[in-house]
Amino acid sequence: MTDAALPLQPDAASAERPRTQSTLTRVVHYTGLRMIAMFITIMIGVYLTILIANMGGHVDKIRRGYIREQVAISVGFNEEFKNMTSEERRAHIDKLVALQEKRMGLDQPFLLRSFSFLWGAMTLDLGWADNMSSDSGSRMVRNIILERLPATLLLFSTSFMLNFLVGIFVALYLSRNYGSRLDRAIVGLAPTSAAPSWFYGLFFILLFAALLGWFPFGGLVSAPPPDSIVNYALSVLNHMVLPVIAIFFSSIFLGIYGQRTFFLIFSHEDYVDMARAKGLSDRVVERRYIMRPTMPTIVTSLALSIIGLWFGSIVLETIFNWPGLGRLLYLASNIFETSVIVGSTVVYAYLLGITVFFLDIVYALIDPRVKVGGNQGGQA
Amino acid sequence: MSKKRFTFLAVLLIAALLFAACGGGDTEMAEEPAAPAQEEQAAEDTEEAAAAEEESEEAAAAEEEEEAAAMSERTGAWVDEVIAIEEPSAAAAVTRMDLAEIDAYAFSISDAEVYATVQGMDSLTYSNSFGVYAELTFNPAGPIFDGTGKLNPFAVPRIREAMNYLVDRDFISQEIYGGLASPRYMAITNAFPDYARLVDIVRQLELEYAHNPDKAAEIINEEMEALGAELVDGVWNYEDEPVEVIFLIRTEDERKEIGDYVSTMLEDLGFSVVRDYKTASEASPIWIGTDPNEGQFHIYTGGWITTAISRDQAGNFDFFYTNRGLPFPLWQAYSPSEEFDAMSEKLDLRDFTTMEERRELFGDVLALSMQDSVRVWLVNQLGFSAYRGDVSVSTDLAGGLNGARLWPYTLRRTGEEGGTLTIAMPSMLPEPWNPVAGTNWIYDTMLIRATADVGAMPDPFTGLQWPQRIDRAEVTVKEGLPVGSTHDWVTLTFAEQIDVPEDAWLDWDAVEQQFITVGDLHPDGLTANVKSVVYYPGDLSELSWHDGSPLSLADVVLGMITTFDLAKEESAVFDEAQVPSLNNFQSHFRGYRIAQTSPLVIEYYSDQYTLDAELNVANFFPGTPWHTMAVGLLAEAAGDLAFSSDKADANEVEWMSYIAGPSIEILEGHLESAAADGNIPYVSTLGDFISGAEADARWANLSAWYEDKGHFWVGNGPFYLEEAFTTEKTVQLIRVENFPDASSKWEGFDTPMIAEVAIDGPARVASGDEATFEVMIDFGGDAYAVADIDEVKYLVFDALGELALTGTAEAVEDGLWQITLSAEDTAGLESGANKLEVAVAPLRVSIPTFSSLEFVTTN
Repeated sequence: MTDAALPLQPDAASAERPRTQSTLTRVVHYTGLRMIAMFITIMIGVYLTILIANMGGHVDKIRRGYIREQVAISVGFNEEFKNMTSEERRAHIDKLVALQEKRMGLDQPFLLRSFSFLWGAMTLDLGWADNMSSDSGSRMVRNIILERLPATLLLFSTSFMLNFLVGIFVALYLSRNYGSRLDRAIVGLAPTSAAPSWFYGLFFILLFAALLGWFPFGGLVSAPPPDSIVNYALSVLNHMVLPVIAIFFSSIFLGIYGQRTFFLIFSHEDYVDMARAKGLSDRVVERRYIMRPTMPTIVTSLALSIIGLWFGSIVLETIFNWPGLGRLLYLASNIFETSVIVGSTVVYAYLLGITVFFLDIVYALIDPRVKVGGNQGGQA
Repeated sequence: MSKKRFTFLAVLLIAALLFAACGGGDTEMAEEPAAPAQEEQAAEDTEEAAAAEEESEEAAAAEEEEEAAAMSERTGAWVDEVIAIEEPSAAAAVTRMDLAEIDAYAFSISDAEVYATVQGMDSLTYSNSFGVYAELTFNPAGPIFDGTGKLNPFAVPRIREAMNYLVDRDFISQEIYGGLASPRYMAITNAFPDYARLVDIVRQLELEYAHNPDKAAEIINEEMEALGAELVDGVWNYEDEPVEVIFLIRTEDERKEIGDYVSTMLEDLGFSVVRDYKTASEASPIWIGTDPNEGQFHIYTGGWITTAISRDQAGNFDFFYTNRGLPFPLWQAYSPSEEFDAMSEKLDLRDFTTMEERRELFGDVLALSMQDSVRVWLVNQLGFSAYRGDVSVSTDLAGGLNGARLWPYTLRRTGEEGGTLTIAMPSMLPEPWNPVAGTNWIYDTMLIRATADVGAMPDPFTGLQWPQRIDRAEVTVKEGLPVGSTHDWVTLTFAEQIDVPEDAWLDWDAVEQQFITVGDLHPDGLTANVKSVVYYPGDLSELSWHDGSPLSLADVVLGMITTFDLAKEESAVFDEAQVPSLNNFQSHFRGYRIAQTSPLVIEYYSDQYTLDAELNVANFFPGTPWHTMAVGLLAEAAGDLAFSSDKADANEVEWMSYIAGPSIEILEGHLESAAADGNIPYVSTLGDFISGAEADARWANLSAWYEDKGHFWVGNGPFYLEEAFTTEKTVQLIRVENFPDASSKWEGFDTPMIAEVAIDGPARVASGDEATFEVMIDFGGDAYAVADIDEVKYLVFDALGELALTGTAEAVEDGLWQITLSAEDTAGLESGANKLEVAVAPLRVSIPTFSSLEFVTTN
């Protein structure tokens, strides 16, 4: 038996080597293809963004009109130019307009510029803004975005983590206590998430800032900002309370409801019943038989939500006067500052691409049913 | 992660938020009073209390005296600190002001609901401003558009003129603007001086073009039929198709409602109106960018803004009604009558020699502009700046609080000195600050003004200037030019010819770094229309910059140099964007001359002039020291930074910021090298004005300043910039303790003395009898001084509504004027109800006040 089995060892070993090479090749092949596909997708997405943000070149027309209007009005109403003849004034306006158009690159056709935008975007050279400056005064798109990023990340990651942690914790609790009063209450409150966070924001401002005076109306920090780091941090936290609660209230009940339903479905699978029948403790069942198969979904949701923080929230940031990316993008859209819009989208596209790419790998790590590449991948 | 950890984290986060909410809040604004304890003690022993009371009264009196003495000795700003913050919402700002979170809102609010809210709050007050106006812009191309082959009724001047009768300006003012507007009929603003100068002509025209929809319909019907259109079932048709009117309606403000209102009026007349709602940026390419003959629009809801009082609006007709106004297709389509065109140009070029001649010309042009009506003016919008009731501050009649140059000199908590005031503004710090071509954002400019002193201070109520760092000025004007003066700090004289001295500086040699004189460029001599001589007080070095450096003549001369050097191609700091400005400047500039250095006297020669001698005074008092300018110039010359956004974009370098951002580190590097070298900019010229020791001292001062503040913004205003928090959108300004002027210097400029007028007189006047009417003029209950009144005009409209009489009232005493209608005057009036309208034009404000009284004439 043993002897008979022994000759199989070398064969088994020799049979395993090509299988190992095959897996590596398969992974490399799969990874390479995914990266290329991802790059092409990002490129197409970015170019479409360039076209859309510039309205296919129509923005040039708008900008030209705007430049002429602004220059003409500033010259027309300036006492300095009163003594010019109308011809001189016109020539002066034309010169100023030409200068502005040259500065904004409007002296070149849009199609040509669109490819130069694309090249810059794909190489992450976000370039210079035409009409916007960063808070500190820099015209580099990178600085404009990066200076606003911390405020957005701080606000939305705090809200998100609060939502995520409270959501998971309460959802698990409810899935164990299905039909309880709390469960029914959460289900009943779920429709309140139909109201957006800014609605709660307005309500909370009225209540807690205007009426009770407990919290500030908005802004990042009190004015003037405190000197010490501790006081500064406390002041920021104080200013974060209302927006964080607004975001929390706008999504927590629906989030809990969704996750609790999700856990309930998984907790009624046959293998969970089997585990319970085997006498495993609730904690073990929850951790090994309910949580684990839900991990890919939770991780996906977590990852996409985290990169979703990138854009902030236009309305919420506006009503709370929060100096984040949402307000920045809103301002950029209003003044047709396409470089900032495209810059933000490019970074988001890269983040999304990278996240999706790594999620494929993470799935294979956390879910044994998933394999990377080949026909077997993805079969449950 | 375990359940416990989840719980712990969640609880920790909530606890942190709650802790922050309780502990990190702003400090309380007021403390609990301790009065009850004192009352109890007083009840125990009345004698002691009486003695104590006496003592406390004495102490209080002494304290008051001390305070009064201290207040009279206080210099510079009234408050110790100003915190500027961002608050985009006017409604939120008003609530926050009511809660004493902020003290003033630097924005001209035009929302009627917010206006009503502020009026209903005891804690707040406000001041009005008048610089915004709305109109209907017509496309005059056609009558058949080349682009569409469709009819354009507004190509016909009479139809455009009829639109004046069609729109009800009172309705627009009261209903659409909720009372925050007043009717406007023509191209001049009723809050600016020309309106008062021409009030009789203007009122007559306003009466003539009053709302009369029947007359409008009659004229439009007549003209439409003449165009070949036909009214079919109440709809105008042209070549069997409905006559379509494309109405570009702006959506951001009340112009949306105006567009809807006018559209409805036009639809009632039988036009098919296409309401094309657009934002500014969407509408601009159409109304400005397209050829009017393409027919992409018929009417546009236009809006204009003036941020400073304009004392001469004569150029408005050339700008708004002729093709000389702007080089845009729409303007090129304007074809005013020959007479109107010629007169507008004459008025614009100031081709008149007396004010009377100007008045006659103005009157004719006003009437012709109404007949042309490529624009139908609708309303003067009233804005208001709100602030807490216990705050007093100067606000500009055109620009509001944010437009007032005097705000940092007058802002205070009424009756108090010191303390901190918080000013909110809708938006701040969007662009870098630098002294050459930095931000021109209106709210940042407001803050910058607090940090830089001026030679002459613009009057927020009249648009004239008052001396701030000027002792006196002499203005000499070429004979025949209609220039007058109001204030006695300016001496106005006329000369047959003004010769520019040959040693006056006229241009700049960027290679040699020296001025080029008039003698070099014009050996045969050069003349000018205006010569201004400004006498600066005392010794400049008695004044100092915020970093402690004394002012010097070099600060003045550097400003003169950079005017030229930045626009010279040979210069190391050449900036193409500066060329058009220099070209414009040189088109009228005829020379500077430093006539005397101590006290400083500077002569300035120019061909440009204005109607007021005060505005012809050219002052060169610097707002930026030469050494901070020099740091920027070094960075610019090295190609590290650029003063203007144009050059920054072209060279792909940062737009220079003296207050924050990546520029600071670069400027720091140049400061270090300049300090090490003892740099003197433009040494070939400024070497005569700056000694090596002075240069070293300046660099040491700037280094210490930068070390302390972390920025390069050094000025000489009543406040210095402590810090600009660019992400937090907060600016902290601190009072300059050694500012040379008394804080009370600009007292009286916090409230515009808009006259309050009442008329008293007989209700019934027999035709052929003399009648006397009294005009009472006061301000806040005090009689308005006769010396402060320019003119009191009266107009009598007879029973038919025609202007029957005009004249001027006679001054009796302060606050009292008299109008006498002679027997001959009353005999000429029709029997029935007449209206006596009085227009009072004060000298202290540009806004005239109107009042009227009805009386009946009987036979």
